[in-house]
Amino acid sequence: MKHSILTLVLAVAAFFSVAILLAQGEGAHILWNRQGYAPEQPIAFSHRLHAGELQVDCQYCHWAAEKSRHAGVPATSVCMNCHRFVSAPLGAVRAEDAAATEAGRKPQPVVSPEIQKIYDALGLDASLNVDPHREKKPIRWVKIHRVPAYVRFDHRSHVSVGVSCASCHGAVETMERVRQVESLSMGWCVNCHRRLNASGLAGRPVRASLDCVACHY
Amino acid sequence: MSEPRPTNPPEVIDDGLLDSAYTSLSRRRFLQAAGFTFVGAMVYGCARAPEEELLPLLEQPEGMVPGRADYYATTCGGCAAGCGILAKSRDGRPIKLEGNPEHPISKGGLCAVGQASLLGLYDSHRYRAPVRDGEESDWARVDAEIREHLDRFARSGAKVRYLSAVVNSPTKQRAIDDFLSRFRDARHVMYDPARGTAILDAYEETHGARVVPHIHLDRARIIVGFDADFLGTWISPVEFTRDYTAARRADRDGTTFSRHLQFESTLSITGAKADQRYRVAPSSRVAVLSQLAAAVARKAGRPYRRSENATDSLPQGLIEEVADELWVHRGESVVLCGADDLTAQLICNFINDALGNYGRTLDLDRPSFQVQGSEAQLEEVLGEIAAGKVDLLIVDGVNPLLDLPGKGAGAAELAKIRLIISFAQRPDESSALAHYICPDHHYLESWSDTEMVQGVVGFTQPLIRPLGDTRQVVETLAAWSGKERSARAQLQERWGTGRQWEQRLHNGFVKKSAASFRVGGFRTAPVFAARAEKFSRGDGFELVLYTKAGMPNAGHAFNPWLHELPDPITKAVWDNYARLSPAAAERIGLSQGDVVSISLPTGESVELPVLVQAGQHDNVVAVAMGYGAEASRRFESMGPSWIEKKPTVGDNGLVGVSATPLVVRGSSGRRFSGTQVRLHATGRKSELALTQDYQSIDVPAHLAPASGARRPNIQESTVAALAVSESSHSAPHHKGDLWPEDHEYTGHHWGMTIDLTACTGCGGCVVACQVENNVPVVGKDEVRRNREMHWIRIDRYFSGSGDDLTVAHQPMMCHQCDNAPCETVCPVLATVHSEEGLNEQIYNRCVGTRYCMNNCPYKVRRFNWFEYSRDDAYENLTLNPDVTVRSRGVMEKCSFCAQRIHEAKAEARRGGRPLADGDIRTACQQSCPAQAIVFGDMNDAQSEVAASISSRRHYRVLEEINVKPSVGYLQLVRNREDGEGRDHHDG
Repeated sequence: MKHSILTLVLAVAAFFSVAILLAQGEGAHILWNRQGYAPEQPIAFSHRLHAGELQVDCQYCHWAAEKSRHAGVPATSVCMNCHRFVSAPLGAVRAEDAAATEAGRKPQPVVSPEIQKIYDALGLDASLNVDPHREKKPIRWVKIHRVPAYVRFDHRSHVSVGVSCASCHGAVETMERVRQVESLSMGWCVNCHRRLNASGLAGRPVRASLDCVACHY
Repeated sequence: MSEPRPTNPPEVIDDGLLDSAYTSLSRRRFLQAAGFTFVGAMVYGCARAPEEELLPLLEQPEGMVPGRADYYATTCGGCAAGCGILAKSRDGRPIKLEGNPEHPISKGGLCAVGQASLLGLYDSHRYRAPVRDGEESDWARVDAEIREHLDRFARSGAKVRYLSAVVNSPTKQRAIDDFLSRFRDARHVMYDPARGTAILDAYEETHGARVVPHIHLDRARIIVGFDADFLGTWISPVEFTRDYTAARRADRDGTTFSRHLQFESTLSITGAKADQRYRVAPSSRVAVLSQLAAAVARKAGRPYRRSENATDSLPQGLIEEVADELWVHRGESVVLCGADDLTAQLICNFINDALGNYGRTLDLDRPSFQVQGSEAQLEEVLGEIAAGKVDLLIVDGVNPLLDLPGKGAGAAELAKIRLIISFAQRPDESSALAHYICPDHHYLESWSDTEMVQGVVGFTQPLIRPLGDTRQVVETLAAWSGKERSARAQLQERWGTGRQWEQRLHNGFVKKSAASFRVGGFRTAPVFAARAEKFSRGDGFELVLYTKAGMPNAGHAFNPWLHELPDPITKAVWDNYARLSPAAAERIGLSQGDVVSISLPTGESVELPVLVQAGQHDNVVAVAMGYGAEASRRFESMGPSWIEKKPTVGDNGLVGVSATPLVVRGSSGRRFSGTQVRLHATGRKSELALTQDYQSIDVPAHLAPASGARRPNIQESTVAALAVSESSHSAPHHKGDLWPEDHEYTGHHWGMTIDLTACTGCGGCVVACQVENNVPVVGKDEVRRNREMHWIRIDRYFSGSGDDLTVAHQPMMCHQCDNAPCETVCPVLATVHSEEGLNEQIYNRCVGTRYCMNNCPYKVRRFNWFEYSRDDAYENLTLNPDVTVRSRGVMEKCSFCAQRIHEAKAEARRGGRPLADGDIRTACQQSCPAQAIVFGDMNDAQSEVAASISSRRHYRVLEEINVKPSVGYLQLVRNREDGEGRDHHDG
C-alpha cells in the first residue's frame, strides 16, 4: 500500500518535471542556459533593419568589441549620430509630406514612438535640444547573452583573430528581436576552440587555449 | 531502564486527517520523495538565469572604453615622500595604484602604505558633507558663518594657529599663507605625528637652512646608519630602497656592491638588510657617533672637540675599522642618523662633512622637502593653547589630541579655544572637538602639486568626481579669503595651461631647471657646543617609540589592509606590543603575550603585550606608534561571525594602544627614544596574532649534522665568495617525472625569480597583490587561527643572535610547480595544469576538500573558511572586476596574476605582434621598490627571467622533492668579510 502511494508520488513528480522541461521549448536545459532567450526590449530596436537591411557594421555601435573585453551596449548618444536626422521610417515622412502638400501647409516633423524613447532618454525637446527640465534616464535594456561571474570572456581576443560575431551571436542581422542562438555553455566554447585548433581560421593556424585559466581566474 | 511506552506516541496522532500509510512512511522514504521533488523544483526554478538589465551611458565620454583600464599619472598621498603613481582607472573609478616607472624620485616602486591608500578613497566612514556642531550641514551655511567669525578675528587681532601635517605643495603653501595673511597674529605650524625635526634643526645650525639633503644611496659605496630606518619608514623609503638595491646588484662586478653597517637599538627592516649590524641603546648613540666622528676627524686632520661618557662607547678597534672603511670611500659614503636627537644629528653632519659627502651622496643644492616643521614652534603653539591664548585653531591632516602628548593638546585645553575648524576626512579624536568640520578631498579626488625634492614637482590629478560633498582645502581657504578659485585654477596659475600643462599632467611630474637652493658652508662650532641630552640612568629600560613600515601614523588606522599586513620584522598583525629582546624578557620573567605595564617616572603608563624580538638591545623596550586611534573602533565586528569568534579590537575597543602618553618633550622637542621607563607585569595575557611563529633558520643542535647547519631554504653568500666561485649551483639530479608527456610547454612557460639580496621584506607586494586579486581581510582572530588569506607570505628567518643576528626575508607565493602535488590529489580536478605551466585554481569547480592545501609543500594555498564580508558597498568599489570574488568553501592562491597575463596577450594579439618580454608585470613585481621580482617566459632565452635563472645565485626551495617549481630565488648576498655568510647548498 505505502509503496504504491510512494510510486505514484514519484511518477507524478517525474511527469511534471519532464513536462516542465519540455514546455520550455528547446528541450532540456542545463542550469542557467538561456538558449533561445529573446526577451522584450524597452525599445523595439530591430537588428534586422539596422544590421541587415541598412548594413550598419556591428562595430559601428558595438565599437568596443575590438578594443575591450566587453563589446558594450552603445551609449545613447551613438544612436543620435543617425537619429538626429532620422526620426521616423521614410514611408511615414513621405506620407506626412504628401498630406502637407495636399493641405497646403508645412510638413510637421514625424517622430516614431520608438525613436521618441531615445529623445526622452536624453531629455531632448521637440527640436532635439537638451531640455534642462527633463530628466535624463538611461535605457534599461534586457541582457541576453550572459556568462556566469566566474567566466571571463574577452571580445577583443576573438574579434582580433577574426572570429565572426555570428559564430557566437548567430545571424543577428536577420532578427527583429535578438535571440540567444547558441547555448554559451562551457562545452560549446571548448568544442569551438578544439575545432579551430584542428582546422585553423580563414586558412591561418589558430592557437585557441584549452586551459581552464583561459576563462576562469 | 526503559520507561513504559505511552499508549499514543505524540508523533503518531491519528486525528483522521492523515492517511495511515503516510504516517508510517519511513524517514528514508520521505527523504527520497522530498529529494526528488526538490530537484524537480530546482531544475524548473533554475533553468533560466534571473533577468538582468544593461544600462548604457547616455553620453559616450571621449577616450573611455568600457571594460578597459586607463592609467593616469598622479602623486601618492600616503605620506610626504610624494612617490609617483599611475592610478588604474576602470570604468571611471580608480581600482589600483601602480608605481610610475618614469618618476625621478620613486622610479616605479610603491610601498604598502601607498598601495593601501586607495582604500581611503572608498572609506564609507568619511565625512560626506561639512559638519557644524556635530550636525551635517551645507557649505553655504558653514562658509557664511565661518567668514563672519574670520572677519571678527581679523578685526580683533586674534591669535590664529594653523596646525597641519607636512605641506610640500607650493600651491597649498601659498593658499595657506594667503589665507593667514589677513590676520595680524597668525602662524602655520607643521608636524609629523611620529617624528621630530632634530635633523632640520641640525642642518639649520651647520648649514644655515632648515632642509634635509637629498640622499643618493646609489652613489654610496658605504652606508652607515644610526637608528635610520631608511628602507622602511624614514623620509623616502621607496626611493631609498630603489637606490640602495641599485648599488647592491650582486650579478654585476662584485666590487660595486655597496657596504651597509647599521647601529640601532631595535631591529628594523633596514637593520635586517645590513651587512653588519650593531646594537646600540639610545643612551649610547651620541657616544658612539662621537667616537666615530673623532676617528674620522683624525684621518681628515680636523680638530674634534667633544668628549662623551666613555662607558657608552663601543670597542675602539671596531670604530676604527668603520672609520677606515668610511675614509677609504670618502665622498662615496654616507652616514645617516634617524634619531630625533639634535646632538646626534650634528655629529652625523660633522662626519659627513669630514668625509666630503656633501655635494656627492648628500645633495644640499637640491635638498629634500619631505621633512618639514619645527618642534620649537610646535612647542610654542602648545604652550599658547595650554595658556588658553589661541582664538582660532585650524587642524589640517593631523590629529593633535591623539598625536601630541602632555600639556597643550589635551581635550580640556582644546576646549578653551574659541573656534576649532577641522579639515579631517574622517572622524577622529580631534575632529570630535571641532566646531566646524570642512572635510578635505581624498588625494585621488584632488588637484595638487608636490615639491618633494628641490626642482622636482609631482602633480596630483583627480581620478574620480568627489564621492561626497567635500571640498579641497585650497578651495576652502580661497573661499574664506573671498577669492574663490578652484584648485585646478590655482594650480594652473603656477604651472601654466595649454599643451605644456597637459604634458606635465600626463607625465605626472616636471623637473625644473630653476636656480639651486642656497645653503651656507659647514659650521663646526654648533657640533662642539651641543650638549648631549641627559639620559637618566637607572635599572629600568630605555623606551624606543618607532613606526612600523605598514603604519606610518594613526591617520592610517582606518585601513584594514595595513592592519592585516604582517609587520616585516615581528610578523604580527592587528596590534602593537612591547618588543623586548629574549634576554630582557627572561631577565624580568616575562614571555610572549604577557601584558606588561610600561610607565614613565611621571606616572603615565601604557599596557601592552610583550613580543620577544631577536636582535634588539637588551636594555630597550620598543613600542610602535600609530595605534589606539578612534578610527580603528570600526573594527569591532571585523572578521567572520561564528561561535568561537574573538574580537579583532582589544579591551579598549580599538586596534592596539596609543603610545603617545609615553612621548616626553625634551630639549629637541618630542623625544621618541631613550626615555627611562619601568616595566611591571600585570599578570594578564593577551594573545598576539602572528603569521609566523618559527624564527630561526638554524637547524636545532640536536638535529644538526654539523654545528651551524642551516636549513637550505635560505641560501646566502658573500660578495667575496661570489667573486671566486665560478661554478653555478648544481641542481639535485632526479630520475623520472610524474607527467612525462603531458607537459611539453611548447608555447610560454611562465616563471618568476625573486632576488633575496634585493628584497627588504617591506610588504609592498603583499598589499599590491591583495588589491589586485580581491584578497579579503579576515581579522585578528582568523589570523591567529592561521587562516590569513594573503597570497604572498613573506617568510622571515633569523640566524645567529645578538650583534651577529642575520635576517632573511623570503616572499612565498604559489610556486606553480610542474609536478604539482596539489594537482594529483584534487578529487574534482579543480586544480589542474595549464599548457603554459600555470597551476590553475578553478574556483567554480572547487568543492573545498582542502587536500591540495595539505599536500602543498610551500603552504601557499588559502582556503575561504567563511564568506568574508563584502557588505561595505563603498569598499567593494576597490574590487578588481577582472578577478573573481571567491566565496566560502573555495580554495585560492597566487595565479601569477592570470588576469594580467591574459590582458597582455589579448593586447598583443590585437596589435598583431608577439608577446614581448616585460609586457606582463605581475602586481607584486610592479610594486616592488627593490625590483626584486622578475617574471616572464622561461622558454624565451632572451627574457629577463631566463637570464635570472641562469645566474649562479639561482636556486629553488625544496628542490630535492622534485616538484619542479616555477618560482626560484637568487641567493642572499651580503658584503661581509668575516665568512659569516656561508654557502649552504652543498652542506
